[in-house]
Amino acid sequence: MLSPITAIIHHKKIVPFIFLAPFMIVFLVFKVYPVILAIIMSFQNFQGVQSQEWVGLSNYQNVFQLVRFNQALTNTTVYTIGTLLILIPLPLVLAVLLDSGRVVQSTLFRTLIFLPALTSLVVAGTVFRLILANEGFLNLALNSLFGLPKMRWLDTADLALPSLILVATWRWTGINILYFNAGLVNISRELYEAAAIDGASPLQMFWRITLPLLRPTTLFVVVLSIIGGYQVFVEPFIIYLGGAGPGDGGLTMALLIYRTAFTSFNFGTAAAMGVILATIIFVFSLIQFRFFGVFNRED
Amino acid sequence: MTEQVSVYVSQTGRLVRPRFSASKILLTLLFVLLAFIFVFPLYWMVISSLRPDGRVFVDAFQLIPTELSLDSYNTLFEEEPYGRWFLNSIVQTAGFAITAVFLCTTGGYALAKFRFRFRNLLFVLILVSQMIPFHLLIVSLFLMIIRLGLVETYWGAIIPIAASPIGLFFFRQYMLSIDDEMLNAARVDGASEYQIFWSVVLPNARPAIATLFILFSLEYWNNLLWPLIVFRQAENMPLAVGIARLVNQYRTSYDLVMAGSTLATLPIIILFLFLRRQVMAGLAATGTGMK
Repeated sequence: MLSPITAIIHHKKIVPFIFLAPFMIVFLVFKVYPVILAIIMSFQNFQGVQSQEWVGLSNYQNVFQLVRFNQALTNTTVYTIGTLLILIPLPLVLAVLLDSGRVVQSTLFRTLIFLPALTSLVVAGTVFRLILANEGFLNLALNSLFGLPKMRWLDTADLALPSLILVATWRWTGINILYFNAGLVNISRELYEAAAIDGASPLQMFWRITLPLLRPTTLFVVVLSIIGGYQVFVEPFIIYLGGAGPGDGGLTMALLIYRTAFTSFNFGTAAAMGVILATIIFVFSLIQFRFFGVFNRED
Repeated sequence: MTEQVSVYVSQTGRLVRPRFSASKILLTLLFVLLAFIFVFPLYWMVISSLRPDGRVFVDAFQLIPTELSLDSYNTLFEEEPYGRWFLNSIVQTAGFAITAVFLCTTGGYALAKFRFRFRNLLFVLILVSQMIPFHLLIVSLFLMIIRLGLVETYWGAIIPIAASPIGLFFFRQYMLSIDDEMLNAARVDGASEYQIFWSVVLPNARPAIATLFILFSLEYWNNLLWPLIVFRQAENMPLAVGIARLVNQYRTSYDLVMAGSTLATLPIIILFLFLRRQVMAGLAATGTGMK
């Protein structure tokens, strides 16, 4: 005889839910529930662990009046656009070149350019703190190669975002090449053969075949870059020693949320900032999906 | 027969001109330069960690140093709990990878091989959650682990981030490629669903499991934000948090920070050299959903 419990866990209708349960429980408890909690907190005056009272939209009103928040929002947006402008075209072109058969040992180069992606963002931060220092290698190289004067990369507000974009370029180019490469492999070789027979130049093939057929990959990398760009945290956290950089030049949304929560213990405000950040990421991703025509496709 | 055409097609479908040409040499040289630029910061990290105390900037012109010293490594182990951080990282990374693999294999299998109501809706919701920034969750999660008594614990660092939508997606896609006939044959033989999962599904999914394990390990080893919130005591921290602490503590002792960074990075790079194909293919696949 089967015990009732054994009978239940082997029941045809129950089995899939038992397989699904571990993931779903962790997902609901540690992802869905905290989101709901954060949204609730964003409408409360929630300082420390004790006092909670409903304050309506005042957290949001306060947030948008904060000079630092607007600075962080602007910085993060500029950073994200900057990374998009570099980390889409550069890896795309490099991936196409590496795949063109005109580069000897292309796998070796793909691997070497990929190596930075293995480092922790903490390590990327510490290494670039060293390289960008006043006496660091970047100044040394720019000075001895091009005779440029030393720039105070880490102490100049206007150089904070370019520095962070430089780190991002180093850290992510290799991995984006990998994504574009995966997309390129899926493009049928017959298309290129047919185009070659019709006398198309390599450049024409790039614009007419490669680029249009890479759309899904490009969309994916763009959305990933938006999601990642708006969440940038570790690099400025390390490079500016937990601060915000000179004149808040390196202050990002994520950094401000972290400091509002764990330095000022202003949980309600931090939650409101988190909701705003999530909304921005969500809206920008949707715009991209529309722009790339995901919603109009038949399949 | 036709003559050998002067244009042929590469493995991945691009047109290739044979042997060496000026453009081929120039392009290869361009990539030599690029590879040099991308690898250089890692080289600089290692070299700077080996420079004698206070010589990091003074000797910066020596691209190949003449004088090496292991002093900063000694300081790391004698004056800082670096060995402890390293051990914490290994244990926490293994714990995280095993937990996350367990959640993704069971969940991915359920989503790929069973039909039930709201299955597709559920799957889409899980995927969309990938867009939720972690910073929206940090306050709630922090309050939760306080209430659950998980602050300063390994479980507190592991469980809240273990349900990975991308990992679930990856395993589901892999499962779709496994033939249902194999599972049905085992059912006919009288195996229970759990026996089938253990002795048919998992052995057949070994490559996918290995890939997930590697990628999850890399993810935890390199993660800062969540362990930074969970751990305040130095003796519980993993490497990433420990190094972040070093940077703050020894602002100008770059050799020491570089030694800490080097020791945290080298094991990963050495392992990568053995698992290169799997890591790169796995990342491309988890990214684009292709195998």
